[in-house]
Amino acid sequence: MSSPTRMGLSRYRLLAVAAVGVLAVLLGLLLFGNLNRNLVYYLDPAEALAQQADYGDGRRFQLGGLVEEGSVTTTADGVRFTVTSTAGPDGTTIPVEYRGSPAQLFGAGIGVVLEGFWRGPVFASDTMKVKHDENYRPPESEST
Amino acid sequence: MTAPPTASPGAASIGPVFGRRLPIAAGVAGVVGLIAAMVSPPDFVQGELVRLMYIHVPAAWTAYLSFAVTLGASIGWLWRRRPGLDRMAAASAEVGVFFTGLAIALGSIWGKPTWGVWWTWDARLVTTALLFFVYLGYLALRRAIPDPLVRARRSAVFGVAAFAQVPLVHFSVLWWRTLHQPPTVLRPGDPSIDHTMLAALLLNLVAFTLLWALLVRARARIAAAQDRIDEAEPTRPLAGDAVSAPRLEASDV
Repeated sequence: MSSPTRMGLSRYRLLAVAAVGVLAVLLGLLLFGNLNRNLVYYLDPAEALAQQADYGDGRRFQLGGLVEEGSVTTTADGVRFTVTSTAGPDGTTIPVEYRGSPAQLFGAGIGVVLEGFWRGPVFASDTMKVKHDENYRPPESEST
Repeated sequence: MTAPPTASPGAASIGPVFGRRLPIAAGVAGVVGLIAAMVSPPDFVQGELVRLMYIHVPAAWTAYLSFAVTLGASIGWLWRRRPGLDRMAAASAEVGVFFTGLAIALGSIWGKPTWGVWWTWDARLVTTALLFFVYLGYLALRRAIPDPLVRARRSAVFGVAAFAQVPLVHFSVLWWRTLHQPPTVLRPGDPSIDHTMLAALLLNLVAFTLLWALLVRARARIAAAQDRIDEAEPTRPLAGDAVSAPRLEASDV
């Protein structure tokens, strides 16, 4: 009697794995990916400044932008730099204080997505992700 | 008297599962692709890490290809009702799930040193994870239905509907803000990649496609042999004669 039952269970086991997987992804997205409460992955500097009042009480969100050239200075427990919306000089900028060791590819000019909160006019962050772009080429010295 | 009685039906006509020429071609292409990935220049931002692109991107493209073939074979089955098309759809979906998982795993390995995280909840990663689990559901659905005709019909409908996710995954990086970068090659205009690197990428794409063809063909052949066995012995006992079904006895109840 047990063998047909076990057959039936194993037949539906993969279905259960698939269903649980889909639910886990959706649940994870809602719990951990919904930091900005609107499923936008990050706010750009202009949006972050415009919505500064909404994120007053140390509410965390993700800020995305480019690290401004020449703005990176090392501090005792991290780095201080400016995030800008565009590579040019006329972008919207936000000063950032980052605690912790920066990501491996961190440097001036690269894209970053920072998790943190407003501390006065400064964005205090403790989690950094580097957003590299879709361009691939050899270093300048090796290009022909 | 010349032909011996066939003990297991279909065994004589299966032929080699993997074939002869395709494994050699896939192996040679794999070696060429590996060499190309190793001699291609490092990237100006990512350095040596860019070499992970040469396996991550082909894995993702091969996953797209798998589900496109499942779509085509499913439409073909609904149109012509040929069992071979159902087997092709199933084989391609199975290989597609493997390559989707591979793309996620390789992307995770690439993401840790470049982005700084193994995983993040951006649109590309979430839609890809859903793609993986939904096609796992396709495979589960096939297992859950014993009747071949019902199974073929339901999974064909599933195979057509689930393909809607593939453009969703591909365009997720354009439709939403993501950490994942937008497409480099499959986009309008010139690919934004150095052309020696593009050549290495395309060579690896050929290698992965040959491996894909090899796996799908082998899987479809095994499924065909299984179908022949099932047709020949429709009422085969599950555990042979060694096990007899227990009977209720009045004294036990």
